[in-house]
Amino acid sequence: MSNQHEEVLLRIEHLCQYFKSVKAVDDVSFDIKKGEVFGLVGESGCGKTTTGRSIIKLYDITSGNIYFKGKRIAAGTKSYKDAIANARMEMKKVSPERKAELKAFIAQQRQEIKAAKQDHEKCDKRFVTQIQMIFQDPVASLDPRKTVLETIAEGLVIRGEKDKKAIEEKVFRVLEMVGLVREHAGRYPHEFSGGQKQRIGVARAVIMNPELIIADEPVSALDVSIQAQVINLLNDLRHQLGLTILFIAHDLSVVKYFSDRIGVMYFGKLVELASSDELFAHPLHPYTRSLLSAIPQPDPVYEKTRERIKYEPLAAHDYSVDKPSMREVAPGHFVQCNDAEFARYQKELGIVNE
Amino acid sequence: MATEKKLQVHNLRISFRTNGGKVQAVRDISFDLHKGETLAIVGESGSGKSVTSKAILGIQAGNAITEGGEILYDGQDLLKISEEDFYKLRGDKIAMIFQDPLSSLNPIMRIGKQLTEAMILKGRARQRNCKENFYAKLSLMEKYMTESHPNQVAEVKKKCEIFRQFEMKHIELEQAYNEAHEAAELMLVDLEHMLFLIEKKALKEPGSQLENMKEMLIKALNPYVVAEDRAAQFKADVKNMTAGLGAQQKKGDFSKLQGHLENICMVLKEALAKDKPNFFALGYYRFSTKDPAPTGTVEENNQFYRQYLDDHFMLDFIAMAETAIGKADEKFLALREEAITQLQSALPVLGAKPVNEEELKNLCASLGKVVNASINPIDIVKDSAAYTFAGSFQGFVNQYFTGKRTNGQKIRKYEKELAKYNRLVEKGKNPDWQVAAASVIDLDQVQENIVRLVNNLIAHYQQRNAAEKHVDLNEKTVALIDYLKENASGMVLKITKQAAKNKALKLMEEVGIPEPRKRYRDYPFQFSGGMRQRIVIAIALAANPDILICDEPTTALDVTIQAQILELINRLKKQRNLSIIFITHDLGVVANMADRIAVMYAGKIVEYGTSEEIFYEPAHPYTWALLSSMPDLDTKEKLEAIPGTPPDMIYPPKGDAFAQRNRYAMKIDFEKQPPAFPISDTHWAATWLLHPNAPKVEPPKTVTERIARMKARMGGEANV
Repeated sequence: MSNQHEEVLLRIEHLCQYFKSVKAVDDVSFDIKKGEVFGLVGESGCGKTTTGRSIIKLYDITSGNIYFKGKRIAAGTKSYKDAIANARMEMKKVSPERKAELKAFIAQQRQEIKAAKQDHEKCDKRFVTQIQMIFQDPVASLDPRKTVLETIAEGLVIRGEKDKKAIEEKVFRVLEMVGLVREHAGRYPHEFSGGQKQRIGVARAVIMNPELIIADEPVSALDVSIQAQVINLLNDLRHQLGLTILFIAHDLSVVKYFSDRIGVMYFGKLVELASSDELFAHPLHPYTRSLLSAIPQPDPVYEKTRERIKYEPLAAHDYSVDKPSMREVAPGHFVQCNDAEFARYQKELGIVNE
Repeated sequence: MATEKKLQVHNLRISFRTNGGKVQAVRDISFDLHKGETLAIVGESGSGKSVTSKAILGIQAGNAITEGGEILYDGQDLLKISEEDFYKLRGDKIAMIFQDPLSSLNPIMRIGKQLTEAMILKGRARQRNCKENFYAKLSLMEKYMTESHPNQVAEVKKKCEIFRQFEMKHIELEQAYNEAHEAAELMLVDLEHMLFLIEKKALKEPGSQLENMKEMLIKALNPYVVAEDRAAQFKADVKNMTAGLGAQQKKGDFSKLQGHLENICMVLKEALAKDKPNFFALGYYRFSTKDPAPTGTVEENNQFYRQYLDDHFMLDFIAMAETAIGKADEKFLALREEAITQLQSALPVLGAKPVNEEELKNLCASLGKVVNASINPIDIVKDSAAYTFAGSFQGFVNQYFTGKRTNGQKIRKYEKELAKYNRLVEKGKNPDWQVAAASVIDLDQVQENIVRLVNNLIAHYQQRNAAEKHVDLNEKTVALIDYLKENASGMVLKITKQAAKNKALKLMEEVGIPEPRKRYRDYPFQFSGGMRQRIVIAIALAANPDILICDEPTTALDVTIQAQILELINRLKKQRNLSIIFITHDLGVVANMADRIAVMYAGKIVEYGTSEEIFYEPAHPYTWALLSSMPDLDTKEKLEAIPGTPPDMIYPPKGDAFAQRNRYAMKIDFEKQPPAFPISDTHWAATWLLHPNAPKVEPPKTVTERIARMKARMGGEANV
């Protein structure tokens, strides 16, 4: 990896997002480096969209921390509360010395909660606008009663931009940037085709001068020929504006084509993380393998012989004793595994530990 | 492929009346769908692929106008039959999986009911249908046989009666076997899953599930499924399965249950590994003698029964039937020749201008009669062209006379309104309404249609008569008897509520819905998008259709589930010999599924061929564009998107519709529509690039490179 990728733009630590008893995202950690495209794949319902939405603070996260440019923008408190509860339980039957220790610990945790709440709630809104999102369904994400100009300018207006001339100029500039013309500004969304609508969605994100764009399945709802247009557009913008992109999708061919690094999610957990070439060349986690084996290819002879690998978590792993965690099997290649599997994966990659 | 054509679409044209004008959605497309194959229709949205599929089901939007063509299925033209007739086809014979699962499910009905509804409704109709078919064909056969063996009338009568009776015995035995076998199959899966859970120590409170299983397991007890010497042990195991379950549950140690389950599993596995007895022959054996069954393996027994049936009955019967069918064939061959001569002699009268109306009426009646007389009712596959001839002919003639009667009136009305409009304009006003053109019937066009219809039938009959000379009579007779056998089985295949539920649960499991028993009573809103789509697929498959139309069934699903569902459709296609029309814009999916591919653009098929030909030797620039705009796992360079959007179909372009977006367009592409240039027997493309005078053009680099890569991967094994 080249040097420009070294600076970490977004860091996610132990992110958990629970909805009542449903663990939509469970202990996910990864970094996104400046200027890269980070792909997040997995089947529907595995929590990839929830992760994206948690980052732009559409949800209050349950626990974990999210750092953007080194500054904490979101934090959850559940882990601290759990720690306090555990300490209280322990306190009932231990010696006085230990009790004092635990008391100090609880006080410290309380401090942490306070800090987390402070960071989470008092986070600078302007700072967060540097993260923008592109939504999956171009039809549903545009307000049918607003013209394109109003839709795209909304963010600027909310940020306090008052000069109408300047706003218009900016809108025209982004419109041209995404391949539309300034005449389109006065029209309504229903006058556009699916691909053009998605371009409006891109323009709305780009106008805020973001550093990071979260693209949540931006092409899944589009025709193949239009998909290519939108992907090319995102690719051009990325180089032109030096954007960093979190690309969420389930179409693996597109993700492979577009991303530098890829994270694979399964039922709220990140199971594998590697650079895109590495992941496709040496998939280690059985779920990744099953996912890769399901990609259809435009090749009839190959397709008719393709065997899909099935993934059955109970059969594939034995986690009754040895609990799994995220480990770095090879440089830059992380897999969710336990000790036995770790050794096996390293052997498969040809890395020998002395 | 010389297989049976299930569905034929000829020169289909469909338009939509809108405020802006007439949108020409489908412009003159033709294709055939063979039995047991998948035809994929590929194209961008708005290319007319969904419209085509909806026309086949007769569910077009209200403003659709069918401007011409025919869709032939099972002796009927689907564009002309009534709504009542469509009730018998939709869901039962032709089923469809829609793109949007939410709009095709009833929100206030539990999904279990939605799944079984069609099965129960269609089940009874199917039973009745089978009964009719069986008796009609058998009595026809009896009639033919008495005609061909005038000296042995009593003998023939007796033989047919025996056939009828032992068929009943056969289906009775087979039905019992089927039920038991199905129960065994279902249970084995459940049992293995439970054993797996026990092994992983993940089993919780199996009480109610075990009670259910007990019931089903007892159903598997059938002398032809579970061997008799095993039956006692099996019964005991099933009975004692739940003994002391509470204690086991408390301890968390299910070893006792495990023992029982393993025993049962073993017996079932053994039973399922056995071949199916030949019930047709067995039925005859049971019917004719009281001798005990021979002891031996299933295979040996089958041989014995078969031999017994052949010696005592079947060979004689087949021999008699064969001569009878041969004679009937000769008769109908002569009738068809007669029909050809009559049709040919009628051609000059029909083509004359102006046509003699009196004669047209007479011909309509007489030709219809002649053609109807030349249809052999004992044919298993209905000759669609012959069956629909009389109706279509009558339809055209009616249209002709209606046109004659009303055209003048309509034109006068139009002129009157136009004059009014012009007066207003002259006064300097700007009327906000427009004068709609008179919808007159083009009499010349109607006459042309009549002539084409007659010509088509002549060609079809000539071809058929030529083919008839090589028909193997023995094969035909055996096929007929198989058909009778099948219908006899269908007659007793009763679908009760419980049976439908079991089948629905199995289907739900097959399409990958976890815990089907629990979810059977849920409402559609309780399912996620992917799950809903699976239910829609299960509903479509529930009635066991002949033709399945899939309209982008997996577009909204992610890769793993997409792969699962495609595998499911492929498996069912093989099992049930389904014919599938698969509509999609994703070429990656098509490669897996399709036998043949039609690429559609702007209401026309622009390229047509087997899937190997389309992927390895694409010829049309639009196909190239589609292929190069999708990334695959080896793509590194910039994607080549297709510039622009599809044309406005209210004013379709004059030349090749794709010319505006085509990098390789030549001058002629903007002026004249390209005809279909054949590339091989099964492959054609409509592009001027294939014209002998056209310059040589290479497909885009992405496409050629990918094809080279694919060929390299195959290691030259397929030399295309």
